[in-house]
Formats: sequence, structure tokens, C-alpha cells
Amino acid sequence: MKKQLAFYVDAERCIGCFTCAMACKNQYHQENGVVWRNVYDLKDGVYPHRERAFYSLACNHCENPTCLNVCPVQAYTKREEDGIVVHHQDKCIGCGNCIRSCPYGAPRYNPVAKRAEKCSMCWQRIDQGLKPACVQACPVEALRLVDLAELDQTGLTRFPPGFPRFPELNPSVRFRAPRQPKFVRREGV
Amino acid sequence: MSSFELPLVVFTVLAQAAVGTVLVSSLRQHATAGPAGEVRKEWTAALAVLALGLAASLLHLGHPLGAPTALKHLGAAWLSREVAGTGLFLVLAAAGAYTARQKVGAGLAWAACLVGLLALFSMGMTYAPPSFPALNNALPALFFLLTALVLGAGLAARFTPEAGQPLVRAILGTSLVVSLVAHLAAPCIWLSGSTVMAATGQAWIASPLYWGRIVIGLAVPLLVLARTRSVPNWLFVLLLAGELLGRMVFFAATVHTAANLGGLY
Repeated sequence: MKKQLAFYVDAERCIGCFTCAMACKNQYHQENGVVWRNVYDLKDGVYPHRERAFYSLACNHCENPTCLNVCPVQAYTKREEDGIVVHHQDKCIGCGNCIRSCPYGAPRYNPVAKRAEKCSMCWQRIDQGLKPACVQACPVEALRLVDLAELDQTGLTRFPPGFPRFPELNPSVRFRAPRQPKFVRREGV
Repeated sequence: MSSFELPLVVFTVLAQAAVGTVLVSSLRQHATAGPAGEVRKEWTAALAVLALGLAASLLHLGHPLGAPTALKHLGAAWLSREVAGTGLFLVLAAAGAYTARQKVGAGLAWAACLVGLLALFSMGMTYAPPSFPALNNALPALFFLLTALVLGAGLAARFTPEAGQPLVRAILGTSLVVSLVAHLAAPCIWLSGSTVMAATGQAWIASPLYWGRIVIGLAVPLLVLARTRSVPNWLFVLLLAGELLGRMVFFAATVHTAANLGGLY
């Protein structure tokens, strides 16, 4: 398998602090309302407990990206060396087709530039030997950067409940499921 | 899809009306006997409707001057194919309007029909992405074909002589019945689907625009047709209003998978 960088989302460790999302915002200063990474609270149907669990999600840099396939002006490319899906904003004409088509809602519309944009996996930082801003900022190491070609995926899952299942896109993200809470009951009460 | 996307509503509906008009006109001219009707005016009307739609389509682009670059990804992007197909159809419709005498030449007419249908299919594929489970299938193409036939028959009726009215009336009546059944059945079927698909069904059924489309664009025209022997000229306005309302529902009330991240898909 070729090198494919991916986000490793450890829902067992994630405390929902939004530091990853804030780090992304600090790094790129997106316009108001434009969010490349967000933290999603698992809803009751997926995680029916009083404790909460979270997924930190951004672009999944899919093996077969919908954004790249539907873009009429070829504003998306997938890097050969690490599989990062890059959006070339200078080519974008703001048709919104990628925004409509990505099932994970990764591309967003920038109302000032009037073009789409999305998580770049901080490829410029990666090329300098640094971690993506979100990964570096996570205080509990719940968000990591991994290479799927080398990752031991034992105990991990591709499509946990709460994350839409699109195997034909093959999103480059792996999850560790949230811990199930322990119930302690006293006998005879 | 969260917003009405009005430029896309206008573009898709008018482009489909133009394709439908050329289809019905070609059928009347070359598949039936009798006088062809006011063919040149008819194709010019289709051309004008299409040109208006194409102008509207530019308004949804952040950078309209970059529109020609949308042809760059014909190998994979259905949107590029939609642009190419619609552009080629425009050229063929213009050639038909320019060269028409008693009729448009059979070769040109059928070529325009074929290219128009391919453009329509590309539109259907463009709006059937994986992000909308309710529409990630053949439904958009079916809806668009029905829009083309309904509006095409409605517009072509204005240019059709008395002898050709039964054909146009039959096309319009059949398309209206099929469209009514399809538009009533689709949201009901979605209700038994996955979470996002069911949410789409609920959103469509709860939308006043959806019921406006059913009543104004389908039920009332069917009642009018049942009481008249030819298609009244004013009926096209009603049909167009219904299709525009329906397309607004299509864009605004269809639920995106990303709307329920962290929940059941």
C-alpha cells in the first residue's frame, strides 16, 4: 500500500475541549462561520449514556475523493507522496459542487473569497517536518497523524456509529470507539 | 441542501423546459402526420428560454468569468459534462431555429433531441451525489425528465396547430400523472429509509412549497386538461410556477449527510 496520511481519532481519550478546532482557526484565520475542523457530540442514538463522547472531524483526505471527482475545474489534486487532498483555491470558481457533494461536509464556502476551501492537513507544516496544527494542539493526544500503510489497525474502526459509511470513498481516518461507562450497583438495594 | 439556490432552480427548470420543447416539437414534426406548426417560433422560444436559464446559472458562481473553465474535467465530473451538453444543445437549437422552414431538418432535430437528453441525464447525475442519500440514485434524472416533458409540452402547445393538439395533450397528461405519482411516492418511500433519508422525506412533506408544487403544478393542470380538448396557452404559467416551487424544495429541503454527523446516518 502507498503512503496515505490519515487522522486517528481516539474517541476514548477525546474530552470535547475544541482545542483542535481552535488551533485550526488560529493557524488559518478562516472567515466567520467557515470551519475546517469541528468537534461533534455523539447523539443519544449512538452513545446513550449520561457521559458524553466526541469525534473531532475535518476533511478525511479520501482515497477516492468526491470533491476531486465532481470539481468541474480540477481545483483538487491528491498528492502522490502522502495522499493529502489539496484544494487549489486560485482555480476554484465557487460553483459549490464540492460543498454539495462531499458526504462529510468538508469543503466550505468562503463568502469573502467566493470560493470553496477545506482542511489542507497542514501540508505546508508536514513538508517542514511539523505536525498539523490540530494534532499538535490536542492536550490528551486524542487526535494523531498516522500513515495507513504502516498503522496497526487492531481495535480500530473505519466507520463507527455517527460517521457516515461510504466505503467507495475510503476516507483516510481511523477511530477508536469511546469507552462504555461502567455501572456500579450495590447488591440488594 | 439548506438554501433555495435560486440561480440553479431557474437554470435547471428553464434548461429542461427548452429540452422538452425541442423533444415535443421534433416528435410532432417527424413522428406524426399533419401540419408541423410554427416551428421556427417554437425553436426560437426554446432557445430564448435556454439562454435565460444559462444566464441565471452564472449567478450561482462566485466567479462567473471562470465559467468556461468548467469544461476542464469532462473525464470525471458530471458538472463538466452538463455544461458541455447544455452548450452543444444551445448550438443545435440555434441551428434548428435558424434553418427551420416548414420543419426543422430531421437529422438536426433528432441530434438536438439526443444531445438534450444526454445533457438532461448529466444534470441528473450532477445532483445525485453521495451526500444526499435520498437523491443518490436515478430520481433526479427522472424528476428532470418529467419537468422537461411537462414544460416542453406546455410550451410547445402554443405553437401547435389544432391537428397536433391531441398528441401534445397526451404527452402533457401522461407526464403530469407520472410526475404526480413520483412526487407523492418519493417522500413516502424515503420515510422508511435511513435516518438522513427519512429526515428528507419529513422535510419535503412538511414544506408548503412541496404541496404548492403538487397542487399548482400537477393537480390543477390535470383538472384543467380533463375539462378541455386542447392545452390552453395560459396553462404554461401554472406549470412553470409548479416546477419552480418543486425545484426549490429539491434544493432546500433535501437533507445532507453532514447535517447529522455524530448521529445515525
